[in-house]
Amino acid sequence: MIHLAFVMAFLPYNTLVVASGVAAVGCAAGVIGTFGVLRKRALVGDAAAHATLVGVALALLVTGQRNLAVLLVGGLVSAMVAIVLLVLIRKFTRTRDDAATAIVLSVSFGLGITLISGMVSRGIPGSGGLERFLLGHTASLTANDALLLGTVSVVGVLCIVVGLKEATMVAFDPDFAAASGWPAATLDLVLIALIAVMVVVGLPAAGAVLVTALVVIPPAVARQWTERLIPMLVIAGLVGFLSALSGVVISSLAVQVPTGPVVVLVATAFLVLSIFGAPCRGILWRTRAVSSLSSEFLTKTEVGVATPTGTERRP
Amino acid sequence: MPRIATTVLVLSLLFTSLTNSKAASPVRVIATTTVVADLVEQVGGELVVVESLMADGVDPHSYRATPRDIDRLVRADLIVANGLHLEGKLAELLQRIGRKRPFVAVGNAVPKDELLSIGNDLFDPHIWFDAKLWSYCPSTVADALSQLDSKSAATYRQRANKYSKDLLELDKNVRKKFKEIPQQRRVLITAHDAFRYFGRAYGLEVIGVQGTSTESEAGLADMNQLVELVVQRHIPAVFVETSVSDRNVTALIEGAAARGHVVRLGGRLYSDALGPAGGGGDTLERALLSNVDTIIGALRVTSASQSIVE
Repeated sequence: MIHLAFVMAFLPYNTLVVASGVAAVGCAAGVIGTFGVLRKRALVGDAAAHATLVGVALALLVTGQRNLAVLLVGGLVSAMVAIVLLVLIRKFTRTRDDAATAIVLSVSFGLGITLISGMVSRGIPGSGGLERFLLGHTASLTANDALLLGTVSVVGVLCIVVGLKEATMVAFDPDFAAASGWPAATLDLVLIALIAVMVVVGLPAAGAVLVTALVVIPPAVARQWTERLIPMLVIAGLVGFLSALSGVVISSLAVQVPTGPVVVLVATAFLVLSIFGAPCRGILWRTRAVSSLSSEFLTKTEVGVATPTGTERRP
Repeated sequence: MPRIATTVLVLSLLFTSLTNSKAASPVRVIATTTVVADLVEQVGGELVVVESLMADGVDPHSYRATPRDIDRLVRADLIVANGLHLEGKLAELLQRIGRKRPFVAVGNAVPKDELLSIGNDLFDPHIWFDAKLWSYCPSTVADALSQLDSKSAATYRQRANKYSKDLLELDKNVRKKFKEIPQQRRVLITAHDAFRYFGRAYGLEVIGVQGTSTESEAGLADMNQLVELVVQRHIPAVFVETSVSDRNVTALIEGAAARGHVVRLGGRLYSDALGPAGGGGDTLERALLSNVDTIIGALRVTSASQSIVE
């Protein structure tokens, strides 16, 4: 209680509520998104995100409730439908992967927007605020909403912890996993489903258009810093957490700044820093490594040129 | 564009042939919002058939026209809009159709110096809940209707005058009603800034969680400021609107509760749209009275019952 009072002296209650919910989502999205990035499925999350609008709108239409949990369940269902569609298109048509993703993404997004504007223009009760699912709407999050987001995030991370071995196997070498008798296809789908869940709970924070950044950028940052999975998961989680937290705090300080875009910008700042500064993979590091390598190489050649006797000594 | 132009041409030809054959048919009017539709209804009575482009409970700021709407607009004998950029997404379309069809924006009838500026030569469009401001508007509707149907001009004029008088009477009554609320407790906090004229007319300080248009999103910082204000001034109740999402207001109530200040949900106000026909708010007069009763009922609660828990 004392801690809470202490924190609240600095952060107003509404900021605190939003920060805790969004930071939990940021952390979990980073962890779970890592597998999507490693599996080269980053865009699947984007397609799922754009598909959520359909489900959110339909959930409101069918139940007539504006409860966040109800709307998010609707969003999850339509995101899953989009993913299944994607898999089917890949399997049964000769459409290429990227084209299939683009098709599902744009079609479902178009459908979602059509549904929402149709509902708004007919004055369906509660449809007034639906458009904010496009870019997120943190300011109106209540404690219950934050609790919901936090719980889902914790459960999502727990799933990864429990199934770490399976997830790793599928993420790095699905063919080998299948050959050694793992249900690789099912596991793959479970991983994608987890990503879809994170995308859905990320909706209030960043909206359908931006939420994919939460599952892609933190893993991309982490990848710059490490070659191993566990550290990558930890770094991605941390970066997601920090971006979300600072995004919320920054947007709570300036009037009329939406939270989602700020979160994404902070995460991008991490990425830019990492691309330049990270050891081994960072640009600065690599140019230094290359220049030291080439100077070493040059010295050697120079030595070779300078002492032609060396070549003469060869047999 | 060319398709719309041809549609307009074909329909206007069709329309002129129709009006020539039967002159006694009622004037078909399309109003943009339910509030404007009510105004036309009051002035036109049984001589007009009014339809509202936007249904009950629709938010006019974000309303986008569908192809069917364009069709309805083009077919109407008269288009009546609120104007003053209330119909944000429709403005351009209305302007385009308005060049070819009889078109009135009732908001233009209000003298400019009585309008509230919101910067950039724009004015707050929510004029209807100040009954005195709204009483400027019936005569423009009467003028427009008279031009289309000159035989009934006298009737339109008479009805418009009577309605304006009713509105002024209503204005007086509302002023009297608010007298019973002490000045320092007359604070109206609601989802978006639709009540600034109302507040100015009846002596309430009005604060919107969102801006003047529902299109602007309340940021977290705005929310924190508002919670601070509610707590500091012991405001007993905040209100939600029928055509705007109430989620922001819910977050506000919760934020105040965390600071130990109980602020109640004062009730639902009619703002940009009237209620369904037959309900308590299906005309502007009823909606205004209903709002006044809701507000007075909620603000009358003494602050003494709002305990401050540490």
